[in-house]
Amino acid sequence: MNDLNRWLLIPAIILPAAASAPAFAVQYLTVEQAQKVLFPAADQFESRPVTLSAEQRKAIETAAGVRVRSPEVNAWRARQGGKASGWFVLDEVYGKHEFITYAVAIGLDGAVKGVEILDYRETHGGEVQNPKWRAQFTGKKAGDTLKLDEDIKNISGATLSCKHITDGVKRILATYEAALK
Amino acid sequence: MSALVRVSAVADVSHQRARPLLGTLVEIAATGSDAAQVQRAIERAFDAVETVHTLMSYHTADSDVSRINREAFNAVVTVNAHTWRVLAAAQAFAEASDGLFDVTVAPTLTRLGFLPRHADFPRISGQGDWRHVMLLPDHQVRLARRLRIDLSGIAKGYAVDLAIQALRDAGMTSARVNAGGDLRLYGDSAQTVHVRHPLTATTIVPLVQLREGAAATSAGYYASRRHQGRRVMPIIHPHSRSACDVTRSVTVLAQDCMCADALTKVVHADPEKAGAVLARFNARAFIVENDPLIGGARVLDTAATGQPHWHARWGVAARHV
Repeated sequence: MNDLNRWLLIPAIILPAAASAPAFAVQYLTVEQAQKVLFPAADQFESRPVTLSAEQRKAIETAAGVRVRSPEVNAWRARQGGKASGWFVLDEVYGKHEFITYAVAIGLDGAVKGVEILDYRETHGGEVQNPKWRAQFTGKKAGDTLKLDEDIKNISGATLSCKHITDGVKRILATYEAALK
Repeated sequence: MSALVRVSAVADVSHQRARPLLGTLVEIAATGSDAAQVQRAIERAFDAVETVHTLMSYHTADSDVSRINREAFNAVVTVNAHTWRVLAAAQAFAEASDGLFDVTVAPTLTRLGFLPRHADFPRISGQGDWRHVMLLPDHQVRLARRLRIDLSGIAKGYAVDLAIQALRDAGMTSARVNAGGDLRLYGDSAQTVHVRHPLTATTIVPLVQLREGAAATSAGYYASRRHQGRRVMPIIHPHSRSACDVTRSVTVLAQDCMCADALTKVVHADPEKAGAVLARFNARAFIVENDPLIGGARVLDTAATGQPHWHARWGVAARHV
Protein backbone atom coordinates (compact mmCIF):
# COMPACT_ATOMS: atom_id res chain seq x y z
CA MET A 1 0.00 0.00 0.00
CA ASN A 2 3.05 2.27 0.12
CA ASP A 3 2.46 3.74 -3.27
CA LEU A 4 -0.97 4.87 -2.14
CA ASN A 5 0.21 6.81 0.92
CA ARG A 6 -0.91 10.08 -0.56
CA TRP A 7 -4.38 8.79 -1.22
CA LEU A 8 -7.11 9.25 1.28
CA LEU A 9 -8.72 6.15 2.61
CA ILE A 10 -12.38 6.75 3.05
CA PRO A 11 -12.91 5.79 6.71
CA ALA A 12 -15.03 2.95 7.99
CA ILE A 13 -15.70 1.58 4.59
CA ILE A 14 -15.09 -2.05 4.40
CA LEU A 15 -17.44 -3.24 1.79
CA PRO A 16 -18.65 -6.75 2.38
CA ALA A 17 -18.36 -9.04 -0.59
CA ALA A 18 -21.85 -10.44 -0.21
CA ALA A 19 -25.07 -8.64 -0.99
CA SER A 20 -28.61 -9.88 -0.84
CA ALA A 21 -30.60 -7.14 -2.52
CA PRO A 22 -32.67 -8.01 -5.58
CA ALA A 23 -30.68 -8.52 -8.75
CA PHE A 24 -30.26 -5.66 -11.14
CA ALA A 25 -32.69 -5.40 -14.04
CA VAL A 26 -33.69 -2.76 -16.56
CA GLN A 27 -36.34 -2.72 -19.25
CA TYR A 28 -35.55 -0.45 -22.18
CA LEU A 29 -38.35 -1.21 -24.61
CA THR A 30 -41.45 -3.36 -24.89
CA VAL A 31 -41.83 -5.54 -27.99
CA GLU A 32 -44.20 -2.99 -29.56
CA GLN A 33 -41.84 -0.09 -28.82
CA ALA A 34 -38.87 -1.98 -30.26
CA GLN A 35 -40.85 -2.71 -33.43
CA LYS A 36 -41.67 0.98 -33.78
CA VAL A 37 -38.03 1.99 -33.21
CA LEU A 38 -36.59 -0.52 -35.69
CA PHE A 39 -39.28 -0.09 -38.37
CA PRO A 40 -40.55 3.48 -37.86
CA ALA A 41 -42.50 3.54 -41.12
CA ALA A 42 -44.16 0.12 -40.74
CA ASP A 43 -47.87 0.05 -39.92
CA GLN A 44 -48.34 -3.66 -39.39
CA PHE A 45 -46.41 -6.44 -37.65
CA GLU A 46 -47.64 -9.89 -38.52
CA SER A 47 -46.56 -12.57 -36.04
CA ARG A 48 -44.86 -15.41 -37.94
CA PRO A 49 -43.36 -17.80 -35.38
CA VAL A 50 -41.23 -20.62 -36.76
CA THR A 51 -40.22 -23.96 -35.27
CA LEU A 52 -36.91 -25.04 -36.74
CA SER A 53 -36.50 -28.56 -38.05
CA ALA A 54 -33.44 -30.62 -37.10
CA GLU A 55 -31.86 -29.94 -40.51
CA GLN A 56 -32.50 -26.21 -40.23
CA ARG A 57 -30.90 -26.12 -36.77
CA LYS A 58 -27.88 -27.94 -38.12
CA ALA A 59 -27.62 -25.63 -41.13
CA ILE A 60 -27.79 -22.58 -38.86
CA GLU A 61 -25.15 -23.95 -36.50
CA THR A 62 -22.83 -24.69 -39.41
CA ALA A 63 -23.35 -21.29 -41.05
CA ALA A 64 -23.13 -19.20 -37.87
CA GLY A 65 -20.71 -21.27 -35.82
CA VAL A 66 -23.01 -20.73 -32.85
CA ARG A 67 -25.15 -23.28 -31.00
CA VAL A 68 -28.93 -23.11 -31.49
CA ARG A 69 -30.42 -23.61 -28.05
CA SER A 70 -34.07 -23.32 -28.94
CA PRO A 71 -35.93 -24.37 -32.10
CA GLU A 72 -38.53 -21.62 -31.58
CA VAL A 73 -38.02 -18.42 -33.57
CA ASN A 74 -40.08 -15.36 -32.55
CA ALA A 75 -40.40 -13.55 -35.83
CA TRP A 76 -42.68 -10.81 -37.15
CA ARG A 77 -43.10 -9.66 -40.72
CA ALA A 78 -43.04 -5.85 -40.85
CA ARG A 79 -45.31 -4.30 -43.46
CA GLN A 80 -45.92 -0.81 -44.71
CA GLY A 81 -49.15 -0.22 -46.62
CA GLY A 82 -49.46 -3.97 -47.19
CA LYS A 83 -45.93 -4.21 -48.61
CA ALA A 84 -43.30 -6.25 -46.73
CA SER A 85 -40.48 -4.10 -45.33
CA GLY A 86 -38.47 -6.69 -43.40
CA TRP A 87 -38.30 -9.07 -40.46
CA PHE A 88 -38.34 -8.34 -36.74
CA VAL A 89 -36.84 -11.18 -34.70
CA LEU A 90 -36.97 -11.31 -30.92
CA ASP A 91 -34.26 -13.32 -29.19
CA GLU A 92 -32.58 -13.96 -25.85
CA VAL A 93 -29.00 -14.59 -24.87
CA TYR A 94 -27.64 -15.47 -21.48
CA GLY A 95 -24.23 -15.70 -19.92
CA LYS A 96 -22.91 -16.50 -16.47
CA HIS A 97 -24.47 -13.44 -14.85
CA GLU A 98 -26.79 -11.81 -17.31
CA PHE A 99 -29.89 -12.39 -19.33
CA ILE A 100 -30.55 -10.14 -22.33
CA THR A 101 -33.66 -9.88 -24.50
CA TYR A 102 -32.98 -8.10 -27.76
CA ALA A 103 -34.47 -7.64 -31.21
CA VAL A 104 -32.87 -7.72 -34.64
CA ALA A 105 -34.36 -5.96 -37.66
CA ILE A 106 -33.53 -7.54 -41.00
CA GLY A 107 -34.23 -5.56 -44.17
CA LEU A 108 -35.49 -6.90 -47.45
CA ASP A 109 -31.88 -7.21 -48.65
CA GLY A 110 -31.18 -9.67 -45.82
CA ALA A 111 -28.87 -7.24 -43.99
CA VAL A 112 -29.16 -6.18 -40.34
CA LYS A 113 -31.00 -2.85 -40.13
CA GLY A 114 -30.60 -2.48 -36.40
CA VAL A 115 -30.29 -4.16 -33.01
CA GLU A 116 -32.09 -2.95 -29.89
CA ILE A 117 -31.93 -4.24 -26.32
CA LEU A 118 -35.36 -4.77 -24.71
CA ASP A 119 -34.38 -6.17 -21.31
CA TYR A 120 -31.14 -6.50 -19.42
CA ARG A 121 -31.18 -8.56 -16.26
CA GLU A 122 -28.43 -9.73 -13.98
CA THR A 123 -29.51 -13.04 -12.62
CA HIS A 124 -27.95 -12.72 -9.19
CA GLY A 125 -26.08 -10.19 -7.10
CA GLY A 126 -27.36 -6.74 -6.20
CA GLU A 127 -26.40 -3.64 -4.32
CA VAL A 128 -23.97 -3.66 -1.44
CA GLN A 129 -25.78 -3.67 1.91
CA ASN A 130 -23.35 -1.96 4.27
CA PRO A 131 -25.79 0.40 6.11
CA LYS A 132 -23.17 3.03 6.99
CA TRP A 133 -22.08 3.26 3.40
CA ARG A 134 -25.63 3.21 2.08
CA ALA A 135 -26.64 6.02 4.44
CA GLN A 136 -24.47 8.42 2.50
CA PHE A 137 -26.60 7.95 -0.55
CA THR A 138 -30.11 7.93 0.82
CA GLY A 139 -32.30 10.69 2.17
CA LYS A 140 -32.05 14.37 1.50
CA LYS A 141 -30.80 16.80 4.08
CA ALA A 142 -32.18 20.30 4.54
CA GLY A 143 -30.34 22.82 2.41
CA ASP A 144 -29.30 20.18 -0.02
CA THR A 145 -29.86 21.59 -3.46
CA LEU A 146 -29.40 18.29 -5.19
CA LYS A 147 -32.36 16.21 -6.17
CA LEU A 148 -31.74 12.52 -6.24
CA ASP A 149 -32.96 10.21 -8.91
CA GLU A 150 -33.00 6.85 -7.20
CA ASP A 151 -34.78 5.02 -9.99
CA ILE A 152 -31.79 4.69 -12.20
CA LYS A 153 -28.71 2.63 -11.51
CA ASN A 154 -25.75 4.20 -13.21
CA ILE A 155 -23.24 1.44 -13.22
CA SER A 156 -19.90 2.91 -14.10
CA GLY A 157 -18.28 -0.50 -13.91
CA ALA A 158 -17.94 -2.26 -17.22
CA THR A 159 -20.93 -4.23 -18.35
CA LEU A 160 -20.32 -7.55 -19.99
CA SER A 161 -18.98 -7.43 -23.46
CA CYS A 162 -21.58 -7.69 -26.18
CA LYS A 163 -20.05 -10.91 -27.51
CA HIS A 164 -23.18 -12.93 -26.67
CA ILE A 165 -25.29 -10.51 -28.66
CA THR A 166 -22.84 -10.50 -31.57
CA ASP A 167 -23.08 -14.31 -31.65
CA GLY A 168 -26.85 -14.07 -31.36
CA VAL A 169 -27.09 -11.71 -34.33
CA LYS A 170 -24.96 -14.12 -36.39
CA ARG A 171 -27.33 -16.93 -35.45
CA ILE A 172 -30.38 -14.88 -36.39
CA LEU A 173 -28.92 -13.95 -39.78
CA ALA A 174 -28.31 -17.65 -40.43
CA THR A 175 -31.85 -18.38 -39.21
CA TYR A 176 -33.17 -15.84 -41.72
CA GLU A 177 -31.29 -17.60 -44.52
CA ALA A 178 -32.48 -21.05 -43.42
CA ALA A 179 -36.07 -20.43 -42.40
CA LEU A 180 -37.42 -16.92 -43.09
CA LYS A 181 -36.12 -15.91 -46.49
CA MET B 1 -41.87 2.72 -14.61
CA SER B 2 -43.18 0.62 -17.42
CA ALA B 3 -40.66 0.55 -20.24
CA LEU B 4 -38.74 3.36 -18.59
CA VAL B 5 -41.05 5.90 -20.17
CA ARG B 6 -42.08 8.36 -17.53
CA VAL B 7 -44.41 11.28 -17.91
CA SER B 8 -44.05 13.68 -15.01
CA ALA B 9 -46.23 16.59 -13.92
CA VAL B 10 -44.39 19.03 -16.16
CA ALA B 11 -44.99 16.73 -19.14
CA ASP B 12 -41.33 15.88 -19.63
CA VAL B 13 -40.78 12.58 -21.37
CA SER B 14 -37.87 10.26 -20.60
CA HIS B 15 -36.72 7.37 -22.71
CA GLN B 16 -33.90 4.91 -22.25
CA ARG B 17 -32.42 2.69 -24.93
CA ALA B 18 -29.47 0.34 -25.31
CA ARG B 19 -27.57 -1.07 -28.28
CA PRO B 20 -24.50 -3.25 -28.70
CA LEU B 21 -21.70 -0.93 -29.84
CA LEU B 22 -17.99 -0.37 -29.12
CA GLY B 23 -17.72 -3.97 -27.91
CA THR B 24 -20.12 -3.33 -25.04
CA LEU B 25 -23.68 -2.28 -24.36
CA VAL B 26 -24.18 1.43 -24.90
CA GLU B 27 -27.07 2.86 -22.89
CA ILE B 28 -28.56 6.26 -23.70
CA ALA B 29 -31.23 7.99 -21.62
CA ALA B 30 -32.72 11.40 -22.31
CA THR B 31 -35.49 13.70 -21.12
CA GLY B 32 -37.21 16.22 -23.36
CA SER B 33 -40.56 17.80 -24.07
CA ASP B 34 -42.14 15.20 -26.35
CA ALA B 35 -41.65 11.53 -27.12
CA ALA B 36 -40.82 11.86 -30.80
CA GLN B 37 -38.21 14.55 -30.10
CA VAL B 38 -36.57 12.38 -27.41
CA GLN B 39 -36.45 9.32 -29.67
CA ARG B 40 -34.92 11.37 -32.49
CA ALA B 41 -32.30 12.76 -30.11
CA ILE B 42 -31.39 9.27 -28.86
CA GLU B 43 -31.13 8.10 -32.48
CA ARG B 44 -28.69 10.91 -33.25
CA ALA B 45 -26.67 10.14 -30.16
CA PHE B 46 -26.37 6.47 -31.22
CA ASP B 47 -25.27 7.70 -34.68
CA ALA B 48 -22.48 9.66 -33.00
CA VAL B 49 -21.30 6.56 -31.12
CA GLU B 50 -21.40 4.54 -34.33
CA THR B 51 -19.27 7.14 -36.11
CA VAL B 52 -16.55 6.74 -33.50
CA HIS B 53 -16.91 2.95 -33.61
CA THR B 54 -16.42 2.93 -37.39
CA LEU B 55 -13.45 5.31 -37.37
CA MET B 56 -11.48 4.00 -34.41
CA SER B 57 -12.04 0.26 -34.23
CA TYR B 58 -8.88 -1.85 -34.06
CA HIS B 59 -10.82 -4.84 -35.36
CA THR B 60 -12.17 -3.61 -38.70
CA ALA B 61 -9.84 -3.35 -41.68
CA ASP B 62 -11.06 0.01 -43.03
CA SER B 63 -11.04 2.09 -39.82
CA ASP B 64 -8.65 5.05 -39.50
CA VAL B 65 -6.80 3.10 -36.81
CA SER B 66 -6.25 0.11 -39.11
CA ARG B 67 -5.12 2.35 -41.94
CA ILE B 68 -2.57 3.96 -39.61
CA ASN B 69 -1.36 0.55 -38.43
CA ARG B 70 -1.06 -0.76 -41.97
CA GLU B 71 0.32 2.22 -43.86
CA ALA B 72 1.49 5.13 -41.70
CA PHE B 73 5.09 3.95 -41.33
CA ASN B 74 5.58 4.07 -45.10
CA ALA B 75 3.40 7.05 -46.02
CA VAL B 76 1.30 9.76 -44.42
CA VAL B 77 -2.28 8.72 -43.70
CA THR B 78 -5.08 11.30 -43.67
CA VAL B 79 -7.65 10.63 -40.96
CA ASN B 80 -11.09 11.97 -40.06
CA ALA B 81 -11.27 15.09 -37.85
CA HIS B 82 -12.71 13.00 -34.98
CA THR B 83 -9.80 10.54 -35.11
CA TRP B 84 -7.40 13.45 -35.26
CA ARG B 85 -8.94 15.02 -32.17
CA VAL B 86 -8.65 11.76 -30.22
CA LEU B 87 -5.03 11.27 -31.32
CA ALA B 88 -4.18 14.82 -30.28
CA ALA B 89 -5.81 14.30 -26.88
CA ALA B 90 -3.95 11.00 -26.49
CA GLN B 91 -0.67 12.83 -27.09
CA ALA B 92 -1.59 15.42 -24.46
CA PHE B 93 -2.39 12.70 -21.88
CA ALA B 94 0.82 10.87 -22.74
CA GLU B 95 2.89 14.00 -22.31
CA ALA B 96 1.22 15.03 -19.05
CA SER B 97 1.62 11.55 -17.56
CA ASP B 98 5.19 10.99 -18.74
CA GLY B 99 4.01 8.16 -20.94
CA LEU B 100 1.78 6.39 -18.39
CA PHE B 101 -0.92 6.77 -21.00
CA ASP B 102 0.30 5.41 -24.31
CA VAL B 103 -1.69 4.35 -27.38
CA THR B 104 1.19 2.23 -28.71
CA VAL B 105 0.66 -0.68 -26.29
CA ALA B 106 -1.41 -2.50 -28.95
CA PRO B 107 1.17 -5.26 -29.65
CA THR B 108 1.13 -6.24 -25.95
CA LEU B 109 -2.68 -6.41 -26.02
CA THR B 110 -2.44 -8.65 -29.09
CA ARG B 111 0.14 -10.88 -27.40
CA LEU B 112 -2.15 -11.27 -24.36
CA GLY B 113 -5.09 -12.10 -26.64
CA PHE B 114 -7.13 -8.92 -26.09
CA LEU B 115 -6.76 -7.66 -29.65
CA PRO B 116 -6.92 -9.70 -32.85
CA ARG B 117 -3.94 -10.36 -35.11
CA HIS B 118 -4.14 -8.73 -38.53
CA ALA B 119 -2.15 -10.64 -41.14
CA ASP B 120 -1.72 -7.55 -43.32
CA PHE B 121 -0.26 -5.30 -40.61
CA PRO B 122 3.51 -4.88 -41.03
CA ARG B 123 5.85 -6.34 -38.41
CA ILE B 124 6.61 -4.13 -35.46
CA SER B 125 10.14 -3.18 -34.46
CA GLY B 126 9.45 -3.46 -30.72
CA GLN B 127 10.90 0.00 -30.27
CA GLY B 128 9.38 3.43 -29.90
CA ASP B 129 6.34 4.75 -28.08
CA TRP B 130 3.75 7.54 -28.25
CA ARG B 131 6.49 10.04 -29.13
CA HIS B 132 6.83 8.35 -32.50
CA VAL B 133 3.22 8.94 -33.52
CA MET B 134 3.58 12.12 -35.57
CA LEU B 135 0.58 14.36 -35.99
CA LEU B 136 1.11 16.46 -39.10
CA PRO B 137 -0.98 19.34 -40.49
CA ASP B 138 -4.26 18.68 -42.33
CA HIS B 139 -5.18 15.64 -40.22
CA GLN B 140 -2.23 13.63 -41.47
CA VAL B 141 -0.54 10.95 -39.38
CA ARG B 142 2.86 9.31 -39.77
CA LEU B 143 4.56 6.67 -37.64
CA ALA B 144 8.26 7.30 -37.09
CA ARG B 145 8.82 3.73 -35.85
CA ARG B 146 7.20 0.45 -36.77
CA LEU B 147 4.41 0.74 -34.19
CA ARG B 148 0.83 -0.27 -33.76
CA ILE B 149 -1.71 1.94 -32.08
CA ASP B 150 -4.97 1.14 -30.32
CA LEU B 151 -7.37 3.90 -29.28
CA SER B 152 -9.71 1.72 -27.21
CA GLY B 153 -8.42 3.30 -23.98
CA ILE B 154 -9.77 6.71 -24.98
CA ALA B 155 -12.16 6.44 -27.95
CA LYS B 156 -15.04 5.08 -25.89
CA GLY B 157 -14.89 8.18 -23.69
CA TYR B 158 -14.82 10.39 -26.78
CA ALA B 159 -17.84 8.54 -28.20
CA VAL B 160 -19.74 9.25 -24.98
CA ASP B 161 -18.81 12.96 -25.19
CA LEU B 162 -19.97 13.14 -28.80
CA ALA B 163 -23.26 11.45 -27.93
CA ILE B 164 -23.82 13.87 -25.03
CA GLN B 165 -23.16 16.77 -27.39
CA ALA B 166 -25.77 15.39 -29.81
CA LEU B 167 -28.31 15.15 -26.98
CA ARG B 168 -27.59 18.73 -25.87
CA ASP B 169 -27.87 19.98 -29.45
CA ALA B 170 -31.22 18.22 -29.75
CA GLY B 171 -32.47 20.20 -26.75
CA MET B 172 -32.67 17.43 -24.16
CA THR B 173 -33.09 18.86 -20.65
CA SER B 174 -31.21 15.98 -19.10
CA ALA B 175 -29.35 13.02 -20.51
CA ARG B 176 -27.03 10.17 -19.70
CA VAL B 177 -24.78 8.01 -21.86
CA ASN B 178 -23.11 4.90 -20.47
CA ALA B 179 -20.80 2.90 -22.70
CA GLY B 180 -19.98 -0.07 -20.50
CA GLY B 181 -18.42 1.88 -17.68
CA ASP B 182 -17.68 5.17 -19.44
CA LEU B 183 -20.48 7.38 -18.27
CA ARG B 184 -21.43 11.03 -18.68
CA LEU B 185 -24.55 12.86 -17.69
CA TYR B 186 -26.13 16.26 -17.24
CA GLY B 187 -29.43 17.54 -15.91
CA ASP B 188 -31.17 18.97 -12.86
CA SER B 189 -30.93 16.04 -10.51
CA ALA B 190 -27.93 14.31 -9.05
CA GLN B 191 -27.64 10.63 -9.81
CA THR B 192 -25.83 8.03 -7.81
CA VAL B 193 -23.06 6.39 -9.77
CA HIS B 194 -22.43 2.76 -8.89
CA VAL B 195 -19.37 0.65 -9.55
CA ARG B 196 -18.95 -3.09 -9.48
CA HIS B 197 -17.29 -4.76 -6.53
CA PRO B 198 -13.85 -5.91 -7.72
CA LEU B 199 -14.28 -9.29 -6.02
CA THR B 200 -17.90 -10.04 -6.90
CA ALA B 201 -18.78 -8.13 -10.03
CA THR B 202 -22.49 -8.77 -9.71
CA THR B 203 -22.54 -6.70 -6.52
CA ILE B 204 -22.79 -3.00 -7.19
CA VAL B 205 -21.52 -0.31 -4.86
CA PRO B 206 -22.85 3.27 -4.80
CA LEU B 207 -19.72 5.39 -5.11
CA VAL B 208 -20.51 9.03 -5.76
CA GLN B 209 -23.27 11.42 -6.72
CA LEU B 210 -22.98 13.29 -9.94
CA ARG B 211 -25.19 15.94 -11.48
CA GLU B 212 -23.00 16.88 -14.39
CA GLY B 213 -19.76 15.41 -15.64
CA ALA B 214 -18.19 12.09 -16.40
CA ALA B 215 -17.20 8.95 -14.53
CA ALA B 216 -15.12 6.23 -16.15
CA THR B 217 -14.37 2.93 -14.48
CA SER B 218 -11.93 0.30 -15.56
CA ALA B 219 -11.35 -2.98 -13.84
CA GLY B 220 -10.58 -6.54 -14.73
CA TYR B 221 -13.65 -8.42 -13.51
CA TYR B 222 -15.26 -8.94 -16.88
CA ALA B 223 -12.43 -7.93 -19.17
CA SER B 224 -9.69 -10.13 -17.73
CA ARG B 225 -8.51 -13.34 -19.30
CA ARG B 226 -6.08 -16.11 -18.55
CA HIS B 227 -2.64 -15.82 -20.12
CA GLN B 228 0.04 -18.39 -19.30
CA GLY B 229 -1.72 -19.38 -16.10
CA ARG B 230 -2.18 -15.83 -14.80
CA ARG B 231 -5.28 -13.60 -14.78
CA VAL B 232 -4.45 -10.46 -16.71
CA MET B 233 -6.51 -7.48 -17.71
CA PRO B 234 -6.35 -5.35 -20.82
CA ILE B 235 -4.58 -2.44 -19.16
CA ILE B 236 -0.90 -2.35 -19.92
CA HIS B 237 1.78 -0.47 -18.04
CA PRO B 238 3.42 1.38 -20.94
CA HIS B 239 6.90 1.32 -19.39
CA SER B 240 7.13 -2.35 -18.42
CA ARG B 241 4.67 -3.44 -21.15
CA SER B 242 3.04 -5.84 -18.72
CA ALA B 243 -0.58 -6.07 -17.61
CA CYS B 244 -1.72 -4.13 -14.50
CA ASP B 245 -3.07 -5.62 -11.27
CA VAL B 246 -6.42 -7.28 -11.76
CA THR B 247 -7.81 -6.87 -8.22
CA ARG B 248 -8.30 -3.10 -8.42
CA SER B 249 -11.13 -1.08 -9.85
CA VAL B 250 -10.37 2.52 -10.79
CA THR B 251 -12.99 5.23 -11.29
CA VAL B 252 -12.06 8.70 -12.50
CA LEU B 253 -14.39 11.69 -12.35
CA ALA B 254 -13.71 14.47 -14.84
CA GLN B 255 -15.54 17.14 -16.79
CA ASP B 256 -15.53 15.09 -19.97
CA CYS B 257 -15.53 11.37 -20.52
CA MET B 258 -12.52 11.14 -22.83
CA CYS B 259 -10.39 12.62 -20.05
CA ALA B 260 -11.92 10.32 -17.43
CA ASP B 261 -11.43 7.28 -19.68
CA ALA B 262 -7.77 8.04 -20.42
CA LEU B 263 -6.89 8.85 -16.82
CA THR B 264 -8.18 5.49 -15.51
CA LYS B 265 -5.21 3.95 -17.35
CA VAL B 266 -2.80 6.37 -15.71
CA VAL B 267 -4.15 5.53 -12.24
CA HIS B 268 -3.93 1.80 -12.96
CA ALA B 269 -0.36 2.13 -14.17
CA ASP B 270 0.91 4.23 -11.26
CA PRO B 271 -1.49 5.46 -8.55
CA GLU B 272 1.25 7.46 -6.86
CA LYS B 273 2.27 9.45 -9.91
CA ALA B 274 -1.34 9.74 -11.06
CA GLY B 275 -2.14 12.31 -8.33
CA ALA B 276 -0.41 15.19 -10.11
CA VAL B 277 -1.85 14.21 -13.49
CA LEU B 278 -5.38 14.06 -12.05
CA ALA B 279 -4.96 17.50 -10.48
CA ARG B 280 -3.76 18.93 -13.77
CA PHE B 281 -6.91 17.77 -15.53
CA ASN B 282 -9.15 18.76 -12.62
CA ALA B 283 -10.04 15.12 -12.11
CA ARG B 284 -10.60 12.91 -9.10
CA ALA B 285 -10.09 9.20 -8.73
CA PHE B 286 -11.36 6.36 -6.59
CA ILE B 287 -9.74 3.01 -6.20
CA VAL B 288 -11.85 0.12 -4.95
CA GLU B 289 -9.36 -2.48 -3.88
CA ASN B 290 -9.99 -5.99 -2.80
CA ASP B 291 -8.41 -6.85 0.53
CA PRO B 292 -8.46 -10.53 1.51
CA LEU B 293 -7.37 -9.64 5.08
CA ILE B 294 -10.57 -7.75 5.82
CA GLY B 295 -12.71 -9.96 3.64
CA GLY B 296 -14.00 -7.09 1.56
CA ALA B 297 -12.91 -4.07 -0.38
CA ARG B 298 -11.56 -0.70 0.65
CA VAL B 299 -12.17 2.57 -1.13
CA LEU B 300 -9.41 5.12 -1.71
CA ASP B 301 -10.00 8.61 -2.96
CA THR B 302 -7.77 11.41 -4.24
CA ALA B 303 -10.36 13.63 -2.52
CA ALA B 304 -9.94 16.69 -4.65
CA THR B 305 -12.25 19.24 -3.09
CA GLY B 306 -14.21 22.17 -4.40
CA GLN B 307 -14.88 20.63 -7.79
CA PRO B 308 -18.04 21.92 -9.39
CA HIS B 309 -20.95 19.48 -9.68
CA TRP B 310 -19.33 16.87 -7.51
CA HIS B 311 -20.93 15.95 -4.29
CA ALA B 312 -19.59 13.38 -1.88
CA ARG B 313 -21.18 12.85 1.49
CA TRP B 314 -18.58 10.98 3.45
CA GLY B 315 -17.09 14.12 4.93
CA VAL B 316 -13.67 13.99 6.49
CA ALA B 317 -11.38 11.29 5.28
CA ALA B 318 -8.36 10.12 7.18
CA ARG B 319 -4.86 9.90 5.83
CA HIS B 320 -3.89 6.33 5.43
CA VAL B 321 -0.42 5.37 6.61
